[in-house]
Amino acid sequence: MASTTVSRFRELGKKIVAVGRNYKEHAAELGNAVPTKPILFLKPTTSYVTQGQNIKIPPNCKSLHHEVELGIVIGKTGSHITEDRAADHIGGYVLALDMTARDLQDEAKKKGHPWTLAKGFDTSCPIGDLISKDKLPNPENVQLWLKVNGQTKQDGNTKDMIFDIPFLISYISKYFTLEEGDVILTGTPSGVGPVDKGDVIDAGIGDVSSFRFQVE
Amino acid sequence: MKPTSAYISEGQDIKIPLGCKLLYHEVELGVVISKRCSNISPSDASDYIGGFLLALDMTAKDFHIEAKEKSRPWFLCKGFDTSCPASGFIDKEKLSNYSDTRLWLKVDGVTKQNCSTSDMIFSVPEIISYVSKYFTLEVGDVILTGTPAGSGPVHAGQTIECGLADIAAMKFAVVELN
Repeated sequence: MASTTVSRFRELGKKIVAVGRNYKEHAAELGNAVPTKPILFLKPTTSYVTQGQNIKIPPNCKSLHHEVELGIVIGKTGSHITEDRAADHIGGYVLALDMTARDLQDEAKKKGHPWTLAKGFDTSCPIGDLISKDKLPNPENVQLWLKVNGQTKQDGNTKDMIFDIPFLISYISKYFTLEEGDVILTGTPSGVGPVDKGDVIDAGIGDVSSFRFQVE
Repeated sequence: MKPTSAYISEGQDIKIPLGCKLLYHEVELGVVISKRCSNISPSDASDYIGGFLLALDMTAKDFHIEAKEKSRPWFLCKGFDTSCPASGFIDKEKLSNYSDTRLWLKVDGVTKQNCSTSDMIFSVPEIISYVSKYFTLEVGDVILTGTPAGSGPVHAGQTIECGLADIAAMKFAVVELN
């Protein structure tokens, strides 16, 4: 039975730690090298939106991209967590989108600036309901899919992650204490692309969890 | 962005993050938000200031240089545990002249940073307004408004003292992660 903080992770969690380029084909499709260590960035919890709310294109963004991801909800606070203890810190899972202002990100990368605007704007983290651990016994081998206006754009599997879940929890917690209710977004498979005003995104983790969001 | 897990208060130590060989100090004025807001104008911004704090934006400079070279995010270099030593809350009334207040920092008694907030390129109301266009600001959120010249390295065993005029001061030791 999930604790209150885990079941109310969207309101009580303190941070969303996201992993970039964790799928080989996704790294390649954006012309990026495969990283030798996880690339981490932060999304604030003000970026959460739930089904029924819309995704809003941020100011000055002309290229908003979708990215479907498997999220891990932290169930026990910890730092310097070893890989063999990582599972003890998982409270559950969640479906999420790491909406990205791709043009703002490209500009930030050219100038060596932070990714905060490109990744953290309001509505940049559409988030589903908590998935209990017993509902997702094999998070390391599950389909991640996304459609835009009914057309499949992303169709991957978490087995293609470069850095697996125990490694990510261990690595992240060496630098940042992970707190109960925090979420780790574990990366997106290939097939990312732009969405426009009026588009409808459907996404899911296998047939375990799905949601729909409209772009305003 | 720095996560709130980065906060430490006086009595706790600044810990050099794993693999960092170049830790830098940066003394800053922090603004504490009093009301939830988004998309506000600079002229309305002061209505949303609840108070202030003195903070250090500790930075793993070697990670920072690498991140800029490789176009990577700044999270690791700016957000590690203990990267935000912060003072207690400073009432708005105690700092009515926040746009012209001295910020100072010493390492082992030697002054390294000593400047006025009047040197800020973007004013506090402009910063609040700009941030609120992209991110809803919530009660208790903090905006760190940048550091003056003089940012430089600190090593394990050294002590940082810093202050906001004669309104707030704090002291922190730098230690190895062990």
